[in-house]
Amino acid sequence: MNEFHLTEDQQDCLQELINIAMGQASDQLARYLDTFVYLKVPSIESVEAKDLMKTLSQQKNTMAVVSQGFFGYEGIRGESLLVYQEEDSGRIADLLGYEPDELSQDEQLIDISSILTTTFLNVFAQQIDNRLSYNAPKLLPNVQEILSEHLQQMPFTWELALKVNINYQVTDYSFNCNMILLIPETAITNIKHVLDRILEEY
Amino acid sequence: MSPSVLICDDSNMARKQVLRSLPEEWKDSVQIACNGAEALTILRDNSIEILFLDLTMPGIDGIGVLQGIQKLKLNCSVFVISADIQPEMQNKVKALGAKEFMRKPVQADALLNNLQLHGLL
Amino acid sequence: MLDITAPTTEKTTNVPAINELVLEQINSQIANQLNTGVLVLDADFNIVLWNRFLQVHTDKISDNIIGQSIFSAFPELPQRWLTRKLSSVLQLNTPSFCSWQQRHHLFELPHTRPITTDSEFMAQNCTFLPIETDATDKHICILIEDVTDACHYQMQLQKTLAEIAQISRIDGLTQIYNRRHWQDSLEQEYAKARRHNKKLSLIMLDLDHFKLLNDNYGHQGGDMVLTEVSALISTLLRVEDTFGRYGGEEFAIILPETDSAGAIELAQRICRIIATTPLTYNDQVINVTVSLGVAQLSDKESNYEELITQTDSALYKAKSEGRNQVCSAAELVS
Repeated sequence: MNEFHLTEDQQDCLQELINIAMGQASDQLARYLDTFVYLKVPSIESVEAKDLMKTLSQQKNTMAVVSQGFFGYEGIRGESLLVYQEEDSGRIADLLGYEPDELSQDEQLIDISSILTTTFLNVFAQQIDNRLSYNAPKLLPNVQEILSEHLQQMPFTWELALKVNINYQVTDYSFNCNMILLIPETAITNIKHVLDRILEEY
Repeated sequence: MSPSVLICDDSNMARKQVLRSLPEEWKDSVQIACNGAEALTILRDNSIEILFLDLTMPGIDGIGVLQGIQKLKLNCSVFVISADIQPEMQNKVKALGAKEFMRKPVQADALLNNLQLHGLL
Repeated sequence: MLDITAPTTEKTTNVPAINELVLEQINSQIANQLNTGVLVLDADFNIVLWNRFLQVHTDKISDNIIGQSIFSAFPELPQRWLTRKLSSVLQLNTPSFCSWQQRHHLFELPHTRPITTDSEFMAQNCTFLPIETDATDKHICILIEDVTDACHYQMQLQKTLAEIAQISRIDGLTQIYNRRHWQDSLEQEYAKARRHNKKLSLIMLDLDHFKLLNDNYGHQGGDMVLTEVSALISTLLRVEDTFGRYGGEEFAIILPETDSAGAIELAQRICRIIATTPLTYNDQVINVTVSLGVAQLSDKESNYEELITQTDSALYKAKSEGRNQVCSAAELVS
């Protein structure tokens, strides 16, 4: 489990921070979407760089991947990938409160991704006294080769990815996606410092 | 007399957060549960006066524990401490008998205030 | 090691403190010289501030703009959609983005490259940022980047890529599919037929005595025959059939959901029509014939290459039995 060598305490601390971030993000989302957002405990897995493509291609119906870079203080930065399954694409416009003909399906996916990523990461950053900025989200072409090329051509070499399985269920509409956070090694070292600092307080 | 207290959360850090917020003299009589099933066993076999309960846990979750307490007709003051802070969830746990709802990460003064509010301090 | 002191901490430097007015002037000059549009809105979407870039490009007067609703100042904006977008920025306190790839532009601003581009308006990447100040209400900053060049080059690239993709599939002389694409298609059709347990047949055909033709009429004459025969056969096929040039004078047709009886019927029609359609080259009439081999996919083949081999053997038999005829692989087995 601990490919990136978090101690048990660090792992527990990170999971708790992510739970809290997810909870607050869901609350914000629920208010914004004016509906109840049911969230399951997000499970965290770490995935080594060399295994990520394998992990992604295992998901048979992967329909779309939206990527968005983030960067903050203390060298904390990375890229988030939101991975959608085919069956979940239908009613995103509905969910976002748009008329279906107001925006293309690509735009719907990009919009919801940006909202999920930034609400979640904003709360996460807040808890570790950080503040993040974001690049514009990009829809990656749904082609294996291009995806793996994209992963190889990141502006940083990343050793591992943190895969947060998110399951958002909105009243009468279930919505699943995986958020994968790609984090460069230096940023992981810094995240560990932050985790230790938090753990010392207890 | 310090009351008998149970802290139920799957996260070690979260349990510590609650523990260090409690009055110093209570800390010796605090019991720990790492999931809902453990909590229900302890609740059944001991007379627990105050329960600090997380909601999202693997297996039997916080809602399951609240339902168990109702079924067993236990007389125990439950304080829910959760990351899931949507108003609907807060209403739901109150309807299931929880005294108060606190958002994670729990703050010591909020916790003590709530204990006071219910005459437990 | 990395510095982990948060940059939010006050810097202690020896530089004499710049007074706030000067700082403000620096900030405003930078904002006004940026090659990016800056537009700040209040929580009711009224314009609070804009920079010179927008003033110059919209040709509007500042006094009329400040205080106006963004939707009356820029009536071209999609109001419902943008209202929802701006609300998300205010409510979720998160940035939002709009790329030219989804919407070419939001604001109708002229660009400075009138000839080379495809749209009369500047292509834009827009960013919507939540701004928190000492004021009780939040503000939104809209950044409008001119990406007309990037957009133009991307369009050109797409067009070129599409052309290249097309060229790489097509045989230059006959304008039907080349061998590589034909074989790729067969691989897919083979997999489909196996997966769904569907019929699949192949026809391979060869121009008879093509060497002789080349000798008599020259290579240009031979080329004309290849082109004309390809065109003629194309008219006899269904849209789902894949017709390709397999080698010099050899052609191949993939027939999805077709049994050998259907394939033989088609092969015979091709054989007959080519034999009875005289071609003319430099006022000379050329009569050509073709030999055809047919095979249907059975349980025996374990890959698509084996189906080609079967069909090819049938074609060889048609040749050896006198040409200008159809032979089926089924006859070979018996």
